Amino acid sequence: MIPATLRLTLIIALVCYFIVILYFLKQKALNLKYTLLWLVAGAVMGVLVVMPDLLTRIIHIFGIQDNMNGLFIFAIGFMLMILLSLTSIASRQNRKLRTLTQELAILEKRVRDLEKKDME
Amino acid sequence: MINNKLVYAQKTVQKWGKDMEQKRRVLVIIPAYNEAENIVHVVRHMTETAPQYDYLVINDGSTDNTPDLCRSENFHYLDLSINMGIGGAVQAGYIYARKNNYDIAVQMDGDGQHDIAYLDKLLEPLIRGEADIAIGSRFLEKEGFQSSATRRIGINILSALIWLTTGKHIMDVTSGYRAVNKLFIKIYSEDYPMDYPEPEAIVAAIMHLGRVKEVPVQMRAREGGTSSITFKKSVYYMIKVTLAILICRMGYGIRRGKRTDI
Repeated sequence: MIPATLRLTLIIALVCYFIVILYFLKQKALNLKYTLLWLVAGAVMGVLVVMPDLLTRIIHIFGIQDNMNGLFIFAIGFMLMILLSLTSIASRQNRKLRTLTQELAILEKRVRDLEKKDME
Repeated sequence: MINNKLVYAQKTVQKWGKDMEQKRRVLVIIPAYNEAENIVHVVRHMTETAPQYDYLVINDGSTDNTPDLCRSENFHYLDLSINMGIGGAVQAGYIYARKNNYDIAVQMDGDGQHDIAYLDKLLEPLIRGEADIAIGSRFLEKEGFQSSATRRIGINILSALIWLTTGKHIMDVTSGYRAVNKLFIKIYSEDYPMDYPEPEAIVAAIMHLGRVKEVPVQMRAREGGTSSITFKKSVYYMIKVTLAILICRMGYGIRRGKRTDI
């Protein structure tokens, strides 16, 4: 079992976590599309902290003995998922940036050619 | 109204006739990253000895005065505002070739390694319709600059890997001197590998059922500047390219991509 004081700490930490995310969302510093995974991770952690029995049952399926270890593994799992999604977002943006740069350069050449024609 | 249409139709027919007579339009793509030492010489040499071909220098976000030279010399050039590496630069050239309806695109390094004198030889298999891609290979007749022994080992490993994964023997898989026809201008303008693209581009071409042919050429040691591949990077290069080839090959599965002729 998770000690009561620890559960309280975790709940307070989670509340702070949600406040920070919602604040960023409100300030439009975060895009909701990319924040969904963070929110889902927070919600799952919240459920597990509030209902330790559920946590115990789930982690026993995976052969994890200790509740705290279970929480850590969940947290690490979510972090890996979020990191992977970030890498994928970076790759996609890299591709878009490439296309934009290429199109920009081709347009720039066209403008240059047109200006030259205009001068003649 | 009808009269206008008739005149227009006649003009179109005349234009077609002209197009048929005209030689195939060739664009030479010259990617240049910090090549201020070589680029003027390379382009001038080309416009003097092969003026019948169009060329396009691609300044890949150089930090030296390559773009200033292109402007003051009145070259045809694209100015990429961000450095994207050789793959992105060459792809910009293919997109330009496609937009301007070129029949053949040639890529040639901006550092003076590739000799424009071999261009006709490189174009021959494409013009005769024998190949979709012609690769200028320094190892077929083993003349000219042969690169260092360690690099040749690396190239042979990659060549063997491409043979294993695709069943095609290509000797000079890293050669950046190649010509492609209209079909592959389209394919490469849509998707061209990044970072160290040459071997991967060959695999992609074979997977699209392209006919790849090697043509013997001689290359020179670079005239100035520094090569994009330093010794330190070569280990990274081998790992990255090996993985890229395997992933590229996997991407097409057992059934290869369909060949769609234009």
